[in-house]
Amino acid sequence: MGKIRRLVLDVLKPLDPNIIELSRILSELPGVDAVNISIFEIDRKVENAKITVEGSDINYELVLRAIEDEGGTVHSIDEAVAGKIIIDDAQTPQDYLG
Amino acid sequence: MGSLRKKLREIKEYSEVAEIGEIARRYFAMNAFDGVLTIIGVLMGHLSARIDDASVVITTGFSTSVAMGISGLWGAYLTESAERKRSLDELENHTLTDLSETRIGRASRFAVVIVALVDGLSPFLASAVVLLPMMFSFYVGGIMRAYYVSLGLALVTLFALGAYLGTISKENLVLSGVKMLIAGLFAMALGRVM
Repeated sequence: MGKIRRLVLDVLKPLDPNIIELSRILSELPGVDAVNISIFEIDRKVENAKITVEGSDINYELVLRAIEDEGGTVHSIDEAVAGKIIIDDAQTPQDYLG
Repeated sequence: MGSLRKKLREIKEYSEVAEIGEIARRYFAMNAFDGVLTIIGVLMGHLSARIDDASVVITTGFSTSVAMGISGLWGAYLTESAERKRSLDELENHTLTDLSETRIGRASRFAVVIVALVDGLSPFLASAVVLLPMMFSFYVGGIMRAYYVSLGLALVTLFALGAYLGTISKENLVLSGVKMLIAGLFAMALGRVM
């Protein structure tokens, strides 16, 4: 079975816990080597975060459960990379349209 | 041992998430103050009425302490539950998810229990401490002396409470202690006049 190496998630989360705490929690999950969280929108009570998780064998269910346990909701899975190595999406001419 | 350590870490996390420390400190100080002042009132009333049977003072005193404890526990449980539910509902309106089974939800429920316990136990224990000399009136030299020892202990407790608040607000401890003491002296003076 192929292993998930990277996930990029669009998450809506309460302000508390902050992203430092959430990144620490996610980084302690088995199969996760690193976590990157950046905020692209914030209001009085909640913030929108892009969560990037990389590892040798990420378990999406565990990541989802950890985010939901902290009051977050995964709005979309924006990127998923699986296999022996991590690759970025290939450039195509259509990427430059519009 | 591992599960105990895990439980303690969980409690620490809940305390941080629900900001229990600040609320518990506030309720502790406020209710312990109420407890001591109330028992000063009970003692002054009995002293003015020249009650010389320690068991009467102890019974009245402890009944009052228990009533204060129940009032604190029940009142805090209901009000804190209502406030926490309101906060959680407001957050759920923003996240559009049910937060009851998340760490925030668990921390909220934990906070309600802790705050209710602090609110109930602090007046009860503070007033019980003040009543202790009455229970040992034989050893302190009779009931009249026990009254004064109890009232003295009440003033010491108030001073200590004030000093504790001084450590929190980083003010002069003696000054904070004296501020609390004045309330006790005032209660005693009014009790004497009646």
